[in-house]
Amino acid sequence: MKEEGKHKKAKKYGMVINLDECTGCGACMVACMAENNVPFKEDESNKLDSIAWMRVYKLTNGKPYPEAEICYLPRPCMHCEGEHGHAPCVSVCPATATDYNHETGIVSQIYTRCFGCRYCMVACPYHARYFNWWDPVWPEESTKYLSPNVSPRMRGVVEKCSFCFHRYQLAMDKAYLEGRTVLEEDEYQTSCAQACPAGAITFGDLNNPEHKVHQLAKPDNKHGGRPGNPNVFRLLERLGTNPKVYYMSSREWVRQAGDNYINNEDLAKNYRH
Amino acid sequence: MDSALIPEGVKRCSFGKFAIGIILVGGVLLWGVYAMLLIWLKGLNQTNMNDFYGFAIWIWADLGVIALGGGAFFTGFLRYVIGKDELKNIINCAVLIGFICYSSALLILAIDVGQPLRSWFIFWHANVHSMLTEVAFCLSCYFAVLIIEYIPLILENRQINKVPFLHNLAHNMHEVMVIFAATGAFLSFFHQGSLGGTPAVLYGRPFSFREGVFIWPWTFFLFTWSAAAYGPCFTLFVTRLIEKITKKKLVKQNVIDLLAKISGWTMGTYVIAKIIDTWYWATVTAPARGFNLIDFYSNNPFYGIWILIVEIVVCGIVPALILLTPKGRNNSTLLFTAVSLACIGVLLNRWVMVLQVMAIPVMTFETWVMYIPSWQEVATTVLPVAYGIILVMISFRYLPIFPQERELNP
Amino acid sequence: MKIGRRSFLSFVIGGAAGTAITPLPWKLMDDSSIWSQNWPWTPVPPDGEYSQSNSVCTLCPGGCGITVRKVDDRVVKIEGMKGHPVNDGGLCLMGLSGLQLLYGPTRVKTPLKRVGKRGEGKWEKISWDEAISEVAKKLADIRSNGGSHTVGSIVDSENGTVPNLFKRFLTTYGSPNFMTMPSIQDSYAMTLQVMQGVSAQVGFDAENADFILSFGSGIIDGWGSPVRMFKANSAWKANGKKVVQIEPRLSNTAAKSDKWIPINPGTEAALALGLANVIITNSLDSKKISQSSGFDSFKKLVQNEYGTEKVSKITGINSATIVSLAKNFARASKPLAICGKGQGSIPGSLNEFMAVHALNALVGNINKEGGVWAVTDTKYINWPKPEMDSIAENGIQKERIDGAGSEYPHTKSLLNRLAEVINSGDGSLEALFVSGANPLYSMPDSKAIKNAFDNIPFIVSFSSYMDETASNADLILPNHVYLERYEDVPTPAGLSKPIVGLTRPVVKPQFNTKHVGDVVMLIAKALGGGIADAFPWESYEACLKETLGVKWDILVEKGFEFNGDKCILEGDFNFYPDAMKSLSDFSSVSIEGSAISYPLILIPYDTIRLANGYIGDPPFAIKAVEDTVLKGKNSCVEINPKTGKELGLTEGRYASLLTPRGKAKVRVHLYEGIMPGIVALPRGLGHTAYDKYLAGKGCNFNELIGSTEDPVSGLDEAWGIRARLTKV
Ligand SMILES: Nc1nc2c(c(=O)[nH]1)N[C@H]1C(S)=C(S)[C@@H](COP(=O)(O)OP(=O)(O)OC[C@H]3O[C@@H](n4cnc5c(=O)[nH]c(N)nc54)[C@H](O)[C@@H]3O)O[C@H]1N2
Ligand SMILES: Nc1nc2c(c(=O)[nH]1)N[C@H]1C(S)=C(S)[C@@H](COP(=O)(O)OP(=O)(O)OC[C@H]3O[C@@H](n4cnc5c(=O)[nH]c(N)nc54)[C@H](O)[C@@H]3O)O[C@H]1N2
Ligand code: SF4
Ligand code: SF4
Ligand code: SF4
Ligand code: SF4
Ligand code: SF4
Ligand SMILES: [Mo]
Repeated sequence: MKEEGKHKKAKKYGMVINLDECTGCGACMVACMAENNVPFKEDESNKLDSIAWMRVYKLTNGKPYPEAEICYLPRPCMHCEGEHGHAPCVSVCPATATDYNHETGIVSQIYTRCFGCRYCMVACPYHARYFNWWDPVWPEESTKYLSPNVSPRMRGVVEKCSFCFHRYQLAMDKAYLEGRTVLEEDEYQTSCAQACPAGAITFGDLNNPEHKVHQLAKPDNKHGGRPGNPNVFRLLERLGTNPKVYYMSSREWVRQAGDNYINNEDLAKNYRH
Repeated sequence: MDSALIPEGVKRCSFGKFAIGIILVGGVLLWGVYAMLLIWLKGLNQTNMNDFYGFAIWIWADLGVIALGGGAFFTGFLRYVIGKDELKNIINCAVLIGFICYSSALLILAIDVGQPLRSWFIFWHANVHSMLTEVAFCLSCYFAVLIIEYIPLILENRQINKVPFLHNLAHNMHEVMVIFAATGAFLSFFHQGSLGGTPAVLYGRPFSFREGVFIWPWTFFLFTWSAAAYGPCFTLFVTRLIEKITKKKLVKQNVIDLLAKISGWTMGTYVIAKIIDTWYWATVTAPARGFNLIDFYSNNPFYGIWILIVEIVVCGIVPALILLTPKGRNNSTLLFTAVSLACIGVLLNRWVMVLQVMAIPVMTFETWVMYIPSWQEVATTVLPVAYGIILVMISFRYLPIFPQERELNP
Repeated sequence: MKIGRRSFLSFVIGGAAGTAITPLPWKLMDDSSIWSQNWPWTPVPPDGEYSQSNSVCTLCPGGCGITVRKVDDRVVKIEGMKGHPVNDGGLCLMGLSGLQLLYGPTRVKTPLKRVGKRGEGKWEKISWDEAISEVAKKLADIRSNGGSHTVGSIVDSENGTVPNLFKRFLTTYGSPNFMTMPSIQDSYAMTLQVMQGVSAQVGFDAENADFILSFGSGIIDGWGSPVRMFKANSAWKANGKKVVQIEPRLSNTAAKSDKWIPINPGTEAALALGLANVIITNSLDSKKISQSSGFDSFKKLVQNEYGTEKVSKITGINSATIVSLAKNFARASKPLAICGKGQGSIPGSLNEFMAVHALNALVGNINKEGGVWAVTDTKYINWPKPEMDSIAENGIQKERIDGAGSEYPHTKSLLNRLAEVINSGDGSLEALFVSGANPLYSMPDSKAIKNAFDNIPFIVSFSSYMDETASNADLILPNHVYLERYEDVPTPAGLSKPIVGLTRPVVKPQFNTKHVGDVVMLIAKALGGGIADAFPWESYEACLKETLGVKWDILVEKGFEFNGDKCILEGDFNFYPDAMKSLSDFSSVSIEGSAISYPLILIPYDTIRLANGYIGDPPFAIKAVEDTVLKGKNSCVEINPKTGKELGLTEGRYASLLTPRGKAKVRVHLYEGIMPGIVALPRGLGHTAYDKYLAGKGCNFNELIGSTEDPVSGLDEAWGIRARLTKV
């Protein structure tokens, strides 16, 4: 057991989202809601209180007609590693209701421990965390489709994307029964990656050179996971949140929109590492 | 009617007048209680908070009252630990205000959290990395200390004091008060600091993030120092207000002068530190994260650079200078202006560190989010104020808050 | 009593310790947290045995394969079926929300008979026997009074067993009035008919094309088979294929294309012919195709009437762009031009379709890899010809109420004309069946449609949901939803290799519903005679099994089957059919309204996040709609900031949108991605029926626009209408 533990390298599950391919169709948002028992209410048009673990943002290049361009950017939880697992949200939670799992790199959220202080929401610069302002109410008939793999949340607690952690657990259980401890790339895929009609989301172990995410992002673990692929970037890289969601775009303005730069900075220098 | 309860040798207004006052403020209190119950029963959807504004007006009020209540620990520290004996003539008032502020803060927290019945998880599943854990521990311990500091005051009520047991209890508590005052001061240093750390450790929020030493960001020290500087101003402000309302002199000028002078020095040094902090943040910390100072103050309908100027210059340098000059301290109007500005200044600082933090977009494709509190939030924020006024009214009427009152009003 | 320091401290510590060791506070604390974690009103989904089954999604004509995940007898998730030729694992947001339709609050749970006024929402629950005998009695009456031809039906499409059962029923009953919901498939079928002389559906070998020139088709906004188009789009990106999008608005499709070329609305045909001119003039056309009949006339037409300068003036696109676009298109090895705007639910102008088809022909990509195919569903429905009694023989000879086949000889169905015919008294219907369609919501000029429906004395809806048409019916005979029933799924829209899929029950019917196929047969049986004899099957399922024959087992096993190779129809290409003569003098697609009272042009836009057909957006899908599309109860219109400035309208402002047909209160969204002078409104909002998660949100584009008849086909060609936008 000890021997095995020594050899087993920690996994770092992450995503690469190809923004050239993403069409903004929103299937990932719904795939997530359907997988994770996300509640809904009568009016969801106020996006400031609408729970969407995955949210697709619409970016514009700021130019006038007809030079205007748009780009869609799906935003799950980034599962930030920070330094040594000190994700912005994890280190602030007073009740340890959200945690960094060093085995998988996944930032968990324990609904039944969260007491709803929302400090983690304030800490997250990606607005990836959502509070249950209301009691979740499903129409009578609709409770039938609720999945037993993800517990519905109660009013007054925070929730967020879990990288579909229950799918990891189910895959591990299955592997374990078959006498394996390692998962194949396709054994654990998130609901959004699986559903994306454009195939824009790639999910896997960033630490595993065999996995597509590793090959696409070429993360440099010596430098906080910085992408080695010049077309790949992370949101707010400069804050040091060390996210595990990478974005890929062939368009310069899109890559620039991923971070803040002050006006006299040499931008080119910043995303060419 | 209630004359038997009123301390000996002092004059109080008629009971009728007092009762009318209590009823008026009590009305406001009940409004707040109604809103509080609504929030507990129906949930935080009664507020205008949202997923972008996770903290709202009452968290500002919370940090605000804790800063203003800082007079209690700092005056206690000066009196019991440093040995500034004159301050015994104002310490009761400081303790009373501290008690009100801290009990209010705890009440606000109980309304604020989504699952109040689980609040104790903060102790049971404590996360040592979280500033809020530190705040929660220190805050509850310090509140216990404040209770212990406030109880002997109650026991000194004329009727209560007649009970030998209670009389002796009060006496003994006074004797051990040094220990509690010292503990309180120690606890306060930490939780005021932790509150300062709360926004400053948010490294995802370049507006509030601050570097520092070891685990403490600079605002850890700035918050403690500002509470020490501005808290006594609030004690002076309330004292002056009571004096104005009761049309009586309650504390001798030398006491006021001493506290004001100490406050002036603390404030002066604080403002210098704050300017250095702001400078470093604006030129090093924020730009490293891609922000110009002006980014934090533009493209929105409310938060302009004026807010920084008002906080540092109008409500920092100006009152500090007034309090540092004997003329300023001795001129009643100037002194009152200075302590009022100081209170506004510290409230503004806490506002900025709580609310502006959330208004500012961090991702380039998001925009500023403005927020207007719902009436329920306003009511629950006013609730502690009403409660404080009532507690001050009752305490002033029935307890010997100001030891010099009899001497000054023969 | 005197207390010393010692006893005081003992008192304090003892008191605290004493309270703490009583179990009370701890127990209460623990209980409180347990209780707050198990609030009785927060559901706890029961666990059970896990299983999976495959089926096909029928929420749109996309035909995606699905795999449902079940826990005991509950379906808990719909996923895309891996390896399915249409979608290979991917799924659109509608398909993913399907369970909200199965288990949703909007379902009609039992047959309902109207008791209040039409549309009042007062219903009486009745039994299936009562419902069927009521319909049969009514139909028998009409028939015996010689009015058999005044019974009509509206279904979603003409393909598949269910539409064919309706058609067979009407035929043997004695009515020609089998109507279908319009779409670009109609225009494409018509184009293939007039230019190639074949009766076929259009197919696009999109995956193999290397230069896609789209005249406003919403490639990734829900056009054709949506998920298949998403996949094609990603493949183009990965392989460096080019996409050029022509439309006045930076739609998602335009945003994803390599080049977006804004064009004056309604002038697409001129551009296509202008490109043809450049191609022919530069001898870039396929030499083989120029042997085709009509080529010389066509050449003359484009060279005389569609010179680059003139086309530039008409379309608003500069000449150099036109020239280079034409050259690049022609030089690509597998260029493909497509048309049919947005999601393709408005048939459009036949001129445009013919011009674009000619463009394809010029570069020689008809029935070629990467090109446009004329395909036929190798007919799997081969029912014996029914015996007809004299009433039936007589009835089907009567002219159709919509004029299809007579006034417009090539057209099969013209639902867009129904309202006007009825409202002007030129024809009438005594009874109408509506199945798989929601014309009261999705046909243009809602007011006129509503009036026409008010004049039909007996309306029967077969809808599974309380949609607008169902709410205004006299009787609702609710169908199972797709997850509860067997049904063949004919070739998805635009697929070049026809396949047939099978949707099948993954759960037993949740409510007291019946398969529409069974209901049609039961009504036929109740009517007796030749009508009953035409339906010899014992149930719909038996009918389907027999119809599919050997395919049945494969379909049950795999979920889909290719329809064999003999599906391409060649025909003889004619570049200059009679229908094209009208193009000798170009006029853009007519846009209703006067430019003086209505200075702007309102166009609709489609987004994949909004369904605008029979299925309404389920709660998850509507939740995914952006706040620049729907804000609270109002739709947002997109206008260029320049237009906004002229009208004094700023972001988020309320405004009143007025067209010759209707009026709506909207909010303004300033968008640099739209041509100045144009207002764009999303389609798919403004429902009045379904449930509280959909009803009352935004406005329905169809209430603001009328239908304009294409002079050749009679189909609706209106993509826009003149409009005025004012501050409120
Ligand atoms: N050798 C060769 N040359 C050609 C052609 C050819 O086929 N071969 N084709 C010619 C033709 S027809 C054309 S239209 C031009 C094309 O010419 P351009 O329009 O210059 O095409 P690209 O340079 O491929 O890509 C355009 C830009 O779009 C960005 N982009 C990437 N993904 C997206 C997206 O999803 N949305 C948006 N809006 N932009 C995105 C890319 O970063 C790039 O900056 O090239 C012409 N030149
Ligand atoms: N910088 C820049 N690059 C672009 C684009 C852009 O807009 N800007 N657009 C992209 C797009 S969409 C495209 S399609 C490609 C186009 O790329 P190209 O095919 O290279 O097109 P152009 O350079 O515009 O024009 C081709 C040449 O045709 C000439 N010409 C004009 N009319 C005629 C004619 O009737 N007969 C003949 N023989 N020649 C004629 C023009 O003078 C010009 O020299 O470029 C792409 N690249
Ligand atoms: S499902 Fe895929 S294409 Fe659609 S929005 Fe999400 S990432 Fe983009
Ligand atoms: S994205 Fe936000 S919620 Fe997710 S790990 Fe990072 S800080 Fe935490
Ligand atoms: S809201 Fe919940 S998860 Fe977030 S910090 Fe508070 S207790 Fe932790
Ligand atoms: S990874 Fe799972 S939980 Fe996260 S956004 Fe995707 S579907 Fe939702
Ligand atoms: S594209 Fe159509 S068929 Fe495919 S999943 Fe979506 S709604 Fe269903
Ligand atoms: Mo082009």
